[in-house]
Amino acid sequence: MLGVRRSAIATARGSGNKEMERTMTCSLRESVHLISDPVNLDASVEEVFRMMLGVDCQRYLGPVGVVEPESVTAVVGFGGILSGACVFRSGATTAIKIAAHMTGMEFTEVDDTVKDGIGEICNMLAGAWKGKVPELAANCGLSVPAVISGRDYNIHVQAPEFKLHHIFNFEGASFEVTIVCDGLQ
Amino acid sequence: MSEVRTLIVDDSSVMRKIVERSLRQAGLEPLVVFEAGSGSDGLEVLKGQQVDLILSDINMPVMDGLEFLRQIRAQNLAPGVPVVMITTESSEEHVKQAIQAGAQGYIRKPFTAEQVKERVLPLLSAA
Repeated sequence: MLGVRRSAIATARGSGNKEMERTMTCSLRESVHLISDPVNLDASVEEVFRMMLGVDCQRYLGPVGVVEPESVTAVVGFGGILSGACVFRSGATTAIKIAAHMTGMEFTEVDDTVKDGIGEICNMLAGAWKGKVPELAANCGLSVPAVISGRDYNIHVQAPEFKLHHIFNFEGASFEVTIVCDGLQ
Repeated sequence: MSEVRTLIVDDSSVMRKIVERSLRQAGLEPLVVFEAGSGSDGLEVLKGQQVDLILSDINMPVMDGLEFLRQIRAQNLAPGVPVVMITTESSEEHVKQAIQAGAQGYIRKPFTAEQVKERVLPLLSAA
């Protein structure tokens, strides 16, 4: 995840815009309650799935069901005034279903196009989420997505400042979105 | 409408397909699409092809969308051709940077075909 984060920091710095550099001196500490508001994450997921897949997607608060052995995880790093990551994770079947909705194509396995689609979903979720808070929208960059697929792996983040972890459902399929913040300016 | 020759620049092949589908849904037919996975690939396309419209992502590896836009202008490629940025970055600051670099339009991801239509059609009419 370190490479993803470096890329996001480079993106945040890469604008070279003096106005942006000046506004980066602002602090997010006072608005941490706004940033960590779970409503923003739910609204972002609903917006991305409605607009890009044409489906209604809602947060699921029930017990976690059967977990598929093969999964797909996408990570988009945040850099700048907030450092951390947006992590999307689903089973292979859900990833294939999402990619099929996005492209209108049929898939039988998690191929490069499915991974590309999941990476883009994560990118849009990260962008929509940070766009809900004006200070973040202006002063926090996004990395290009990194996508992992396979079996028996875990993503570990050490002692985050805050973390949001929600499960969502659409058309009988479920996935997880996690926002991890490990540094605020 | 006469043929609309369009360059779509995005490092995601899925996003390029979605943008193409949105353009078709917006009524841009017949549509001829050239695809590029980075700004530098986009410049190569423009050296060999005449286009009527350019849509580009901003956050891409190798050469990002803003540098791509600056290079189009610096090398006088596609003069007078409208460029629309399609990106997850949505702050006023990012929009201002894109406009300063020479973009005529800005679409935030996620987007609908209707939003693509609203931003793109007036630019083609004016070009």
